[in-house]
Amino acid sequence: MIGYYISLAMRSLRGTPILSTLMIAAIAVGVGACMTVLTLNYMMSQNALAHKDDVLYAVQLDGWDPNEAADTANELPWQLTYQDATALLRSDIPTRQVAMHRFGFTITLDESEMRPFTADARITTADFFGLFDVPFLFGGTWNADADFSPVQQVVLSKATNDKVFGGENSVGKTINLNGEPFTVVGIIDHWNPSPKVYDLNNNPFADSEEIYIPFGLHRKFEIYSWGNTNGWSHSNEEGYEGFLQGESVWVQYWVELDTAAQKEKYEEYLTGYIRQQKEQGRFQRPLKFALSKPSEWLVLNEVLRDDNRVLGWLSLAFLLVCVVNAVALLLAKFLRKAPEAGVRRALGASRNAIFIQHLIESSCIGVLGGLLGILLSLLGLGGVRQLAMGRIDQIASMDWLMVLAAIGLAVLASLLAGLYPAWRISRTNPSIYLKTQ
Amino acid sequence: MLKMHNIRKSYRTDTIETHALRDFSLQVNEGEFVSVTGPSGSGKTTFLNIAGLLETPTGGQYLLDGEDVSSLNDRDRSRLRNEKIGFIFQGFNLIPDLNLFDNIDVPLRYRGFNAKERKKRIEKVLEQVGLSARAKHLPAQLSGGQQQRVAIARALAGEPRFLLADEPTGNLDSLMARQVMELLEFINEWGTTIVMVTHDPDLARRAHRNIQIVDGQVSDLQHGTVGAAREIA
Repeated sequence: MIGYYISLAMRSLRGTPILSTLMIAAIAVGVGACMTVLTLNYMMSQNALAHKDDVLYAVQLDGWDPNEAADTANELPWQLTYQDATALLRSDIPTRQVAMHRFGFTITLDESEMRPFTADARITTADFFGLFDVPFLFGGTWNADADFSPVQQVVLSKATNDKVFGGENSVGKTINLNGEPFTVVGIIDHWNPSPKVYDLNNNPFADSEEIYIPFGLHRKFEIYSWGNTNGWSHSNEEGYEGFLQGESVWVQYWVELDTAAQKEKYEEYLTGYIRQQKEQGRFQRPLKFALSKPSEWLVLNEVLRDDNRVLGWLSLAFLLVCVVNAVALLLAKFLRKAPEAGVRRALGASRNAIFIQHLIESSCIGVLGGLLGILLSLLGLGGVRQLAMGRIDQIASMDWLMVLAAIGLAVLASLLAGLYPAWRISRTNPSIYLKTQ
Repeated sequence: MLKMHNIRKSYRTDTIETHALRDFSLQVNEGEFVSVTGPSGSGKTTFLNIAGLLETPTGGQYLLDGEDVSSLNDRDRSRLRNEKIGFIFQGFNLIPDLNLFDNIDVPLRYRGFNAKERKKRIEKVLEQVGLSARAKHLPAQLSGGQQQRVAIARALAGEPRFLLADEPTGNLDSLMARQVMELLEFINEWGTTIVMVTHDPDLARRAHRNIQIVDGQVSDLQHGTVGAAREIA
């Protein structure tokens, strides 16, 4: 009977084109507005590291101003100082550990007509690729020695390799970064987690970096951070060494701890490290550190802000208004067809049959409204992308799950809208219409 | 076939209670053709609605084929209505945006017949009422008489044992009315029990038995051999 009801629904929609269009438009506008906001919220709240949520931890240490806590959600600086990061790197407790920050280079190629261009770079340690499950297309990461010594090697993103070397296996070839030759040791496949869980200090919705450079090159090239650098005191030393040994925090730090015992041991290690630093006059605040899972890290960094959530609820309220409009339109449409329902009842349709028939008609309106709503959502997201000027391209787009969610939401909305009108017509006394039709 | 005993039906508003049927008792036997007459507002249509399981009585007992249907739920009443009862209305009550084939298809759908069986039945009844060539026409493309023949075909498609006709010729001219009446008589001859409400005394006389309803009660039995209605009343 479902097929029969669907064919009746489509016939009924064709029979009242203006009213049907109004109902479909009411659902579509509500769904379109709602899905635009919900898609943004959904994409913002994604955890690209969910599969390693139980083993990865962002490390925070409280070496901040003794007189004032850091202005963060958990009152710990988001990043570490260079000296703490390099000290922690010497621990052999974590399975993998990564110290890193954002940077940029100008890329040139010898004996090439390629125009120089600036590429986003990540200065990081060798474990970066393994810890974050970055897939390699060719080659691999550099030797771990490069985390502490100036080794001029580079890993390229697929897009950069396509741009510079036409997509061929460029491992072993040389490119110039800020005029210095670097040997390509690896090409990673497409990898672009959004939000960029591993670096939420900068734009969490920016694309992943185009090149990756060993952490041991800081002193050689006097690399500063292109990301956030925060400090609360001046270094005693002057120049770049003073920057490295100062209390400014600019290095992001992640560890992989596969077992609870390993985590406990690492916590003991951090406690010991902070106590040791206290003895040396640093870390004057109460002993405090944090190991946050990726999911916790996203919440702490408020990637999905409260105003986004409020906007989500408002969009649902708007959808509700559209549903109420659809209820009125459906009621008018269904009651106009009450005589037909009366005839059907006389011919053997039960109240439930009439109810289901009209609820299916509502669902058909919902599906059509949902499809139109998806188009409106895509338009809305396109508008958001234009407004953000490319900064949030990754999240202002719909995946299949959200497309299905849009249709589901539309059907749910139309079912809600159709419940009362369908119930009303199924409860109508058929004899009234049979005599007067 | 149909046995009503002390049926009562009243409609209540905030201030008024109207008694449409009062201690209404009637028996219709298998294969009978009974006409029901009476002044407007006497309760004829209420009787027909209760007989056709479209309304439930306020009180009394209604046996259809020996089964007490007074207390059945909506689903069972709908099933019985679909399987045993056919309706013919004064206003034809065809669904305007369905063609003749699809109009006749409606009760068969609710009966659960497969497509092949439905098609066979629809073609058969369309042939019986002489409208095979018009199967794809919409009701509005037919004359009143033709529309009523389609309504009869729709009522017959499920092969009901009991046909309820509410002034089936009321909207037709005399020629069309005579044709429809002849069709009903033909159907009755083939064994279908018919109860027909009419205002037309000539048509009423053509039935085996005439029941007159006045003020919600059976008041007279004009002709027929056994006064079942009178006896019960």
